[in-house]
Amino acid sequence: MAEYFGFTGKIARVDLTNETVTVIEPAEEIYRKFLGGSAMGAYFLFKEGIFDPKLDPLGPDNLLQFMVGPVTGAAPNARITLVTKSAYNIYCASTCGGHFGSELKYAGWDGIQVVGKASKPVYLAVMDDTIEIRDAGHVWGKGVEESELILKSEVLAELESREGMLRDADLNPQWAAMRPPKRLGMHAKRLAHVMAIGPGGENQVWYSCVVTEGARAAGRWGAGAVMGSKNLKAVVVRGTKGHKLADKKTFLALVSGIQKSERGDYFWRSYGTAGIGANSAYVEDAFPIRNWQWCSWADPHVKAIAGPFMDQTSFVRKVSCYGCNLHCLYPVEVTSTDPLMDGTMSDMPDWEAMGMVGGNLGFMEMEGTDPGQPFTGSIKDQAEHLAKLQYTTFLHDNYSLDFIEGGNNLALVMELVQRGFIDKNDLDGIDLKWGDVHAVDEILKKIVTRDGIGDKLAQGTYETARYFAELKGKPEIMNYSMTAHHYGQPAHDVRSPADKNAMEYVTVNRACAHTGGGTAGFKTGDWAAAIAGQNVSAAQNSLVHCQFPAGHWAGSRIDLIKAATGWSDFSDEDLQLVGAREYALSRLFEIHIRQLKDPKAEWDRQVPPRWFNDPLPTGSQKGAVAYEGKPDVLFNEALPAYWKERGWTEDKGVPTLDTLKKLGIDDIAGSIASEHL
Amino acid sequence: MAEIKRRDEAPKPTKEPKKTETSASGVSRREFLIGSGAGVAGLVIGGVVGNQVIGKPAAPVVEAPAAEVPAEGEESPYKAGYTLVFDSVQCTGCMLCAVACSEKYATFLHPEETANLASLEFARIRPMRFQYVDVINVCSYCNLYEWAEGSSKFPCEAVCPEEAIITVPEGEGEAGYYGMGYKWVDREKCLGIDKCWRCAEICEDQFASGMSFDPIDRKAQVCSRCGGDPECVKACPEPGALSWVPAARNGRYFANTPSDYAELLYRKIYNHVRDL
Repeated sequence: MAEYFGFTGKIARVDLTNETVTVIEPAEEIYRKFLGGSAMGAYFLFKEGIFDPKLDPLGPDNLLQFMVGPVTGAAPNARITLVTKSAYNIYCASTCGGHFGSELKYAGWDGIQVVGKASKPVYLAVMDDTIEIRDAGHVWGKGVEESELILKSEVLAELESREGMLRDADLNPQWAAMRPPKRLGMHAKRLAHVMAIGPGGENQVWYSCVVTEGARAAGRWGAGAVMGSKNLKAVVVRGTKGHKLADKKTFLALVSGIQKSERGDYFWRSYGTAGIGANSAYVEDAFPIRNWQWCSWADPHVKAIAGPFMDQTSFVRKVSCYGCNLHCLYPVEVTSTDPLMDGTMSDMPDWEAMGMVGGNLGFMEMEGTDPGQPFTGSIKDQAEHLAKLQYTTFLHDNYSLDFIEGGNNLALVMELVQRGFIDKNDLDGIDLKWGDVHAVDEILKKIVTRDGIGDKLAQGTYETARYFAELKGKPEIMNYSMTAHHYGQPAHDVRSPADKNAMEYVTVNRACAHTGGGTAGFKTGDWAAAIAGQNVSAAQNSLVHCQFPAGHWAGSRIDLIKAATGWSDFSDEDLQLVGAREYALSRLFEIHIRQLKDPKAEWDRQVPPRWFNDPLPTGSQKGAVAYEGKPDVLFNEALPAYWKERGWTEDKGVPTLDTLKKLGIDDIAGSIASEHL
Repeated sequence: MAEIKRRDEAPKPTKEPKKTETSASGVSRREFLIGSGAGVAGLVIGGVVGNQVIGKPAAPVVEAPAAEVPAEGEESPYKAGYTLVFDSVQCTGCMLCAVACSEKYATFLHPEETANLASLEFARIRPMRFQYVDVINVCSYCNLYEWAEGSSKFPCEAVCPEEAIITVPEGEGEAGYYGMGYKWVDREKCLGIDKCWRCAEICEDQFASGMSFDPIDRKAQVCSRCGGDPECVKACPEPGALSWVPAARNGRYFANTPSDYAELLYRKIYNHVRDL
């Protein structure tokens, strides 16, 4: 095996059916082309033939990958990317923070790939080079929080598994006599890091996620369901081997510079993304309220979604990911007059949570009012509203559900109840009204156990809308499904010109991702700039580092890659190519697994009807609709122009053979592209 | 109550900085102990008096620069009799302390082997993330009580069969790494993890989790407070999480095993009772 710096040169491949672990050693050329993370994951989806349209995402043949990149490890802001074919039959590349990514690199791996299906619940115990498939019967069925704490102590370094060697003769007689009877021996340490699923993943709820550290998730596109389908409860990693770097001195100096810069970042160090809430709602007018019927309250007194209010009410700590000084996660203890919620340990909410399972579920208004009316409540009422939001966040985290898709799903059902399309008889007797946290609690239990109506809702927003549209014979129900490419819209609407542009959700390579980048370019029609933004974002998911401190990284990103890998000729252009490769591969993946004959009609135009049908009713951008109300300009002029700039065909958006050749991926993707050109 | 002395200035060395051989001074280890025993009897370690000085430590493989004597009037960064106080509520779990510590000692002890390796395994301070709580984990300098436990040594020191856990007096050691009355492991005497783990076991059994082992030479590692100017404190970005303060207390009342400490933090921060 060639010796690498930055990388370990090894990816573990675990076959759960045959209970074998083998090692993949990719060539240096592959590392240079794809780095790691999402782009490397996309490469393996092609190499392993996961693009086969007949391959069941929840069957044993699907490939689930936990991938890190060359700077994951000793660099700050470490993340890990989970790449697989989603239960929604879409491309999944979902990233997650915490310490897990670094720990995996320290254990000596650039990634773990899981195929097959275990005959009974198992977890993977990774202790440096040793990977064991262990029974997980004792944690199956348990929530994420409890499972993680149990599993954390089960992966021990060799020393910690030893029997005690101390005898009373080693102590003074007096001490020996005083020594407490409870002997902990060598088993007290807990250093392992865990990524686990809860009941949502176990029961293959389509939008279930994979969670670490209680509240961090590889949240979107349903990697948890794939994990559950393999009977894999968790991956537990303990790494002691360190991270090999070509130029350690330069690397550590750059890292130190990023960290120092972060320490001056008042915004992130105050409330994390909680600090964005009120701005988004009242300034950008793009915040989800009651299934996006409103995107701003008429009355700016609604402030339970504001960072300072949350901090004053409930933040108790700050939590960092490995090596990061932004500490953007704030754990809370929920305080409420409602015993259901009181005392729950939860986090924040961050921007997405406060939108998707806060405003979107109608938690923020007084009973009997709607968001277009003045707010009549007190500060105590606002604190209770925040409690509902934090409790619902906890439920999603602990069940391992994506609260973005989940929030859209519940809000869809609530709007259907509001509009009289369905009632509680369609929901197993649960009266799902705006703002009712007890009803949310009950319906979520049904979803994660797939009990009754929960079995339908477990397939996500789009399928839920389709189920009710068919059940009631009312196709207009589809108008309330806030999904692009069949996946829920995150907490940035595109009707307001002040936030994201509709083209972002139409073109982003992971269905309806809010972290795709390129916003400025899309707004001005500068497709080259937009594409560069998207490519950098994809490259970040391949390195893998966080997007929040991207500004602190920007000047040293290439130098860090060089210092880590020793590739002295690596340039910005190479980084752009990594993103371009992932975009080309993921585009072909979506087209091929769905066998799209006319991708524009069958796929690209699958966006929320509300974008163009319902102007914003309140706020600074009142009256706005998406893309100035010109969907034809979007899909017939802008989109082909964007495709052309990418080197894809203008009619279908298929990467041309020329483009694939330029990107150096014609060998793995050329034949698939030929089928669709 | 023992008398407590504290020094905020580095002592003026009375002899040449020591070289690689312990016998370089012309005095054998045993003679040194006898000869200088009286001189260090009143030395303060973590605020508690009475730790016997066993002998000089073995010098590391690589020669470090000799202790710089501060000029007249200049304050030395190396402080004796100080305590490392940690507040895990303020800690965010960013690991910068561990990175700084590990890098410092890896470069000091194994510069060639770690020239291209960033690792946390040389760290004497090891924060551990549970869930929603981070536990700062470092040697607290526990002391046994003579009247109850028959000794006033550190527990790890008391169970070491080779007397390898030593206290390095002022004027000895390597400035910035060990000395000034703080602990150190005599790497020549330590049997190594493959033969003996009594220090780690007694620590984790009754006190905390302050001992770790060097992955290269397999010898025990313990926090030497960087000889009076801890690198972790300088690296920590969160005010109040790590403090280097002139407090004089028995460290055993700061010490908890990581799981126990996490349970306490769940109570303190979240009002939750958890059984870990």
